[in-house]
Amino acid sequence: MKPHEINEIKRIVGGHNVLTSREELHCYSYDSTRLEFMPDAVVKVSGADEISRIFKFASREKISVTPRGAATGLSGGCLPVKGGILLLMVGMDKILDVNPVDLLIDVEAGIITEKVDIEARKYGLFYPPDPGTVKTSTIGGNIAENAGGLRGLKYGVTKDYVNALEAVLPNGDIVNFGTRTVKGVTGYNMIDLMAGSEGTLAVITRATLGLLPLPQAKASLLAVFSSIEDAAKTVRDIVSEGVITSTLEIVDRVTINAIEDYLGLGLDRDIGAMLLIEVDGQQGAVDGEAAAVKKVCISNNCTSYRQAQSEQERDEIWAARRAALSSLARVRPSTILEDATIPRSRIVEMVQAVNETASRYGLLIGTFGHAGDGNIHPTILTDLRDKEEEKKVEAAIEDIFRAAVDLGGTLSGEHGIGISKARYLKMEISPESYEIMKRIKTAFDPYNILNPGKMFTDL
Amino acid sequence: MTEKDKKSRPKEQARIFKKYDDLFNCSRCGTCMSFCPVYKNTKDEAVSPRGKLSLIEAISQEKLDFTDAVSDKIYTCTMCSYCESECPSGVKVSELFGEMRQDLVDKEKYPKALDFLKRRLDEAHNVTFDTNEGRIDWVKQIPDTEAEDWLRDEAEVIYFVGCVSSFSPRAFSIPRSIVQLFKEAKLDSGLLGEEEWCCGFPLLSSGMREEAKKLADHNISKVKKRGAKVLITSCPSCYHTWKYEYGKISSEKIDFEIMHVCQYLPRLIEDGRLVLKKLEKRVAYHDPCDLGRNSGVYDEPRNLINSIPGVELVELAAHKDLANCCGGGGNLESLDPDLSGKIAECRAREIIEAGVDILVSACQQCERTLGAALKKLKQEAGGKIKVADISELVLASIKAD
Repeated sequence: MKPHEINEIKRIVGGHNVLTSREELHCYSYDSTRLEFMPDAVVKVSGADEISRIFKFASREKISVTPRGAATGLSGGCLPVKGGILLLMVGMDKILDVNPVDLLIDVEAGIITEKVDIEARKYGLFYPPDPGTVKTSTIGGNIAENAGGLRGLKYGVTKDYVNALEAVLPNGDIVNFGTRTVKGVTGYNMIDLMAGSEGTLAVITRATLGLLPLPQAKASLLAVFSSIEDAAKTVRDIVSEGVITSTLEIVDRVTINAIEDYLGLGLDRDIGAMLLIEVDGQQGAVDGEAAAVKKVCISNNCTSYRQAQSEQERDEIWAARRAALSSLARVRPSTILEDATIPRSRIVEMVQAVNETASRYGLLIGTFGHAGDGNIHPTILTDLRDKEEEKKVEAAIEDIFRAAVDLGGTLSGEHGIGISKARYLKMEISPESYEIMKRIKTAFDPYNILNPGKMFTDL
Repeated sequence: MTEKDKKSRPKEQARIFKKYDDLFNCSRCGTCMSFCPVYKNTKDEAVSPRGKLSLIEAISQEKLDFTDAVSDKIYTCTMCSYCESECPSGVKVSELFGEMRQDLVDKEKYPKALDFLKRRLDEAHNVTFDTNEGRIDWVKQIPDTEAEDWLRDEAEVIYFVGCVSSFSPRAFSIPRSIVQLFKEAKLDSGLLGEEEWCCGFPLLSSGMREEAKKLADHNISKVKKRGAKVLITSCPSCYHTWKYEYGKISSEKIDFEIMHVCQYLPRLIEDGRLVLKKLEKRVAYHDPCDLGRNSGVYDEPRNLINSIPGVELVELAAHKDLANCCGGGGNLESLDPDLSGKIAECRAREIIEAGVDILVSACQQCERTLGAALKKLKQEAGGKIKVADISELVLASIKAD
């Protein structure tokens, strides 16, 4: 960007809200993928009007604009591939309104997700989507990536809780989509288009999110299996039994050994896998569901089963799952967390495919994650500075994607396509479907100035 | 070393150049950003732990230089170590910042305020504008005691007061409480008087490790000269420095115990030398970063508070290793007082939420910054929340009727 262009931006937001030093630009060049692209200017914005004026200018001058929240994305969604303006959204973090009767909360897009849940709890409500980065990531980023979390099976994902939103289009128009009602069919369902659009169609500035009443009770259960196949079958059978658990997490042997190496919790290193299960709701329902889950675990040969009898025990049961990612991250310098997702009915085969891939390439892969909704996280432990390893990892990831797609699954359950998976998109999306998506992008952004270089490799 | 000599030193000698493996371990997950008090109150990636590490990594790969801008970001830190404590990848974040600060000092890219500090410590051996002769003036207003009573040639227990409590009138109540407690317990104890020099923490934390050696050697020898078996301090930073740094930087051997006052007072109570009486108060305890996260002392202060009859100890939501910083550490207050104040206000709000009469801590710095923030938020608090050091609470209990 030229100096006079930077000055124009300074006139819109104020000079102190534009960062251009090399040091600062470097700090805004990355997200959680370890890829790096330098912006030309980091622009702290405070509202839709400012963003609109920036876009009007950027459209005229054909300057790229990329929105950024907390930059904890795992697909490169907020990286300024073509430089230009990086819109820093984190200052827009106010809670605008809470309506407990309508179960709605209005927030600015830069608010940290956990703050939404904390506010909701003051009213006896909660915000169900709980992605792993809930304490750091922003609602805007969560909506753009349709973030998931541990409660996906029972409670759904971010898009299920976006009732309405305000956004700025690449031409500077400020638009509002959605309703404050439980139901609404008025115009196209733009909310579901925005959710998961990865910041390539518009910049979300405000959202009206749905909340739910806090469940009255919950039960935390831990089941251990001598084979991961038994654990995977249990996952499938629990739902077949009619129980929709609020959480149904799996931890495999590689992960358990990493946890024992790091924390020494006293877990048996030889077990095949562990399931961490929670059921919530009214006390009677919880008791019934917990009993049903126990029956299923036993019929699938669980070697041990435990139900937490206190808060402390609940914490103990959860300690292993909570430590899963950190334990794996400590094994080798690079930790590649994938999220290829399959229908629950195919989970046994997916787990086998991941293990076969690990053997084929001689890679260490730990698997843990949201088994209940088929969204397990095969986590490759490696050192990407080793070029030989890097090639193997690339090939392994492609194999895992292919396995998921072949099993009727999808490349990404939660992390999005971004830069990281753009070259694989056509594995799953037919040419015709891909074409209409590109046309939608072009309809929104004819000059391809908004977050270029994402999703499509040929735009 | 001349400017020319420093410039001709090969870049490879900078400490961070040998740390690439550790830096690469940062997966950029952003977990640190949910805990860092500086990031939470600025929303600026460049001063988040992740951002600082990215700058250090860029320099170690020669993508960036050691510049004033980099220095600015690195020194914008309270050194609370929450980042290192919570890092899922096990990156020794605080340690890396410490090494980077040493490299910045070598390159003369440190905040200029540190030059003043270095000069004062060299000339007067304390961090204030005063001479060290007035180091125990605070004793003057304690009833029934003279300064001379405490300046003894030999003592089993030496109380190392620390610069802030020695010179800052607002902090005087801490050493005054402690000497009164020692007097009550008829403890064979003493002070170093003007022979007490700054422990060196401000130099060590700023990256000026070599300059701190002189202070360490002096202080250890003066304590040994008096034949002390135990060194007590009321300041967590002094405590951490004595216990974990002196062994590394001094050639003088330490042959006495080093304890924070909250670890020592229980001994006097167990021996019956101090008798605690009923004190009906609802209190919360704030874990100072240098005592808690940085030194692992969490239970002793709590046990001490709980041993006072009538006192109800309420845990703050974020406590022990998850305690939030008061904003007073790492020299941040002198570099950016507004930011330091904002951090204190955040913690003060957590204290107000706990609904207590008194906020107790074990650090004069935490007590001062939180006291100021609580005062500012008095209306929000719906009344005044008192702030007391743990030694003051114990003294109040001794004196209660």
